[in-house]
Amino acid sequence: MGKKDANIRMSLQTLRVLEAFLENPTEQLSGADVHQRCRIASGTLYPILLRLESAGWFVSQWESIDPSSAGRPRRRLYRLTSTGLRRASEVFASFNRGVLA
Amino acid sequence: MSQRTVNHWLIHHAARHAPEILAERLEEEWLSDLQARTSSLSRLRFAIGCFWATQVIAWEHQPSRAAVASTTAAGSGVVAYADQNFSFISLKSSTFFLVVSLHIVLIYGFMTAISHTHKSAVPDPLQNRDLPASPPLEQPPPLPGPTLKTWTIDVPRPVVNVPPEPIPGDAITGNVVEKPAEPTSPPAQTHVVKQVVGGTGAGFPDTADFYPSQSIRLGEQGISTVQVCVDAKGRLISDPTTVKGSGSARLDEGALKLARAGSGHYRAATEDGQPVSSCYPLGIRFQLKN
Repeated sequence: MGKKDANIRMSLQTLRVLEAFLENPTEQLSGADVHQRCRIASGTLYPILLRLESAGWFVSQWESIDPSSAGRPRRRLYRLTSTGLRRASEVFASFNRGVLA
Repeated sequence: MSQRTVNHWLIHHAARHAPEILAERLEEEWLSDLQARTSSLSRLRFAIGCFWATQVIAWEHQPSRAAVASTTAAGSGVVAYADQNFSFISLKSSTFFLVVSLHIVLIYGFMTAISHTHKSAVPDPLQNRDLPASPPLEQPPPLPGPTLKTWTIDVPRPVVNVPPEPIPGDAITGNVVEKPAEPTSPPAQTHVVKQVVGGTGAGFPDTADFYPSQSIRLGEQGISTVQVCVDAKGRLISDPTTVKGSGSARLDEGALKLARAGSGHYRAATEDGQPVSSCYPLGIRFQLKN
């Protein structure tokens, strides 16, 4: 996934996903973790994650565990990039001003 | 097929429809996240959602769509907040379409079953068919008639010697009839006293006026004989009493009332043509007229 563009169209569900990551910007979250926090259906959640990753707001990597020893498959973890953190902060700051930039 | 198999099958096929570069990653990622779901229904919803997520991802990763998606929506920042990118098929929409589809299938099944049942219930078209003439019915043998036996009973005719008793009153009209004078013993003396028993005189009340109404409703009839004592002027000198009841206390009471009401209208008995006080029985008949 290359980082194509820092601009992405927002939706309410996208904002909720970003909000979940902004609670702890350094935290890595899987799709299941985001679902638990945002209650967004999988049909909507994963396209958002991929879209934000494609835009360079997120990076993702596999969980560094041994599935056989852990007894479960490894998870795909997402994390905010510095660009994503800046852009997401700008988005929410625009809401705080009450005017959409 | 267990639900776990169904979920894995859905996710596997969903990932197969994703872009090739993402297929393996999405399948592994979704299978991992599937285990985080607790309930079976949540897992099923997750698997179905993955199927639709694939459609969105594949649609967005088309070359033409990718070019559009990479362009900025507006140079100044966030513009569109409608969920235009992937809201055309959400889980709610898919669930709605699934429920609607199930209803359509059920309604179609009902209609098919009803039409099948209705078709089987429709009778075949009418056909005229000449039936062979039936043989004439045999007349049943006549039943034996009843046998009547004649019984002859010889009943001896009873011989009853009853002295004639005077009937007080007129049975038809209800008027009080005087009791005929009893035969007098032959005079012991040379002077014979001619006695005439008293009775009812002019202005004596009508029996119908004292017919008890309840007796009329019950159809009670009968003769009540009361003893009256009358002076020379036809007035009662003592209260009349019942000497022979009619069988109905109501009729007897009506007779007494009639006898009392008739005071002053009695015809006094006479001795040698002179009215005298006397007591005599008075029969009062209560009979209903048709």
